[in-house]
Amino acid sequence: MPFRFRMHSGRARVTALSWRLFVHRFSLVLFLALAGSFLVVGHFRPVALKDARLYVMDGLSPLMDVFSRPAANFDEAVRRVTAYLNLRSENERLHEQVQRLERWQTLAAVATHENKELRTLLRYVPEPRATYISGRVIADTGGPFVRTLIMTAGARDGARQDMAAMTGDGLVGRVVEVGNNVSRILLLTDLNSRIPVMIAESNDHAILAGDNTGHPKLLYLPPDSSLKPGDHVLTSGHGGVFPPSLPVGIVTRADSSGVYDVQPLAELGRVNQLRLIDFTPTGGALNGDALTGDALSHKAPPPLRVRAASPSGTKTSSGRVDTP
Amino acid sequence: MPTSVVLSRFGQTAREALPFLSALISVFLGAVAWPLPAWGPIAPAWGLMALYYWAIHRPDIFGPFSVFILGLITDVLGFGPVGLSAFIFVGLHHVLVRQRRLFVGHTFAQLWGGFALVAISVNLVQALVVSFNQGQIVPLVPLGIQTFLTLSLFPLPAWVFIRLQRTFLSLKD
Repeated sequence: MPFRFRMHSGRARVTALSWRLFVHRFSLVLFLALAGSFLVVGHFRPVALKDARLYVMDGLSPLMDVFSRPAANFDEAVRRVTAYLNLRSENERLHEQVQRLERWQTLAAVATHENKELRTLLRYVPEPRATYISGRVIADTGGPFVRTLIMTAGARDGARQDMAAMTGDGLVGRVVEVGNNVSRILLLTDLNSRIPVMIAESNDHAILAGDNTGHPKLLYLPPDSSLKPGDHVLTSGHGGVFPPSLPVGIVTRADSSGVYDVQPLAELGRVNQLRLIDFTPTGGALNGDALTGDALSHKAPPPLRVRAASPSGTKTSSGRVDTP
Repeated sequence: MPTSVVLSRFGQTAREALPFLSALISVFLGAVAWPLPAWGPIAPAWGLMALYYWAIHRPDIFGPFSVFILGLITDVLGFGPVGLSAFIFVGLHHVLVRQRRLFVGHTFAQLWGGFALVAISVNLVQALVVSFNQGQIVPLVPLGIQTFLTLSLFPLPAWVFIRLQRTFLSLKD
């Protein structure tokens, strides 16, 4: 028996060695073929690899979270120091802003009262409140070819495909992939981004197309459009993907040749926290509350930082947007 | 089995996994959202630096399978075509292992020069494939800046890898 066992063990070892030799010799062909097949399948049937990609992304998210934490803490420390150094000028700016907003508040109160009365007269059915989900950005991926972010809000938090992603300043992009724990946001500057927008001043509708630069372009504007630099770009709500009236950007270039550049209001190169807007075409509009006075009264509104509801800033949370 | 043997085997396995783990960390570092304005599109290819170094210096414990997995993770973290980085990494690994005599035992400048050739070639191939995939030419300015940063910062991770190799992976181990 021991002899037979040794024979068997020896044969197994020879087989294992042969297999290793085979794999070693043909590993190049094997792995190139595997990678090539992924490329082909991904090109012709992207959906086939989507679940696998999400599964791996979810699995890697705790590691990404750990790696991104020191960078986020460092950024927070820098912000605090900067805020401390700018305390005096910031105080003066805020005083000025409060005075201006107090005037706006009076006007808004009158408008709200008038609006309420008109709605009563018209028997207007109020739109349901929109909800939001906030999370922290843990990865800025894609390199020079793709503009995406990965954030810590997934399906378990209520994130869904095509939700609008915002900072306090304006629109950032939309959700393109939703894992259980994380989501991927396609930035509005990405080559594949197309967002229906309108110009606040002229009510002209257009498509905001990303081109991998910092200034996405406006396409399909009406021929008689009188667009000028400084005009405000908002989401139009067409297509039912985004809520209407979300602040997007400001027109920075309006050529006679028909090239219109937009500067996004959100600082896309430095996003720490994101808010996903839960909107349904059946009535989840924001009643214009996302369009703040700041968005219309300044060429470049000061940043309004969004903080995650969770004290640690790592876990996602959801809540209701208070609409008047 | 005696505890010392178990510990010794564990230590050996950990040492052999070091190139892959350091390369994996490099890939993660490349994807982290750093608090620098517009850093994402021009972030250096740290993973490529790790691949280049370990493929030349320790191909015996940094084989095509490790490289393939690294490529797939790079593809998944980015939003590019799955398999593209894996394909390029495996092919590059094969070439580097074949040509490693040109770099091993020579000056650091020669190692750096070789990396410049590799980084430029890889970025060009990626740009071509992505342009073909998107149906339009990708903007070349961020690509150029990223390549420049990748080349300029190569000595930093290379120094770390050299220290790791000398500390944990010397030949007598």
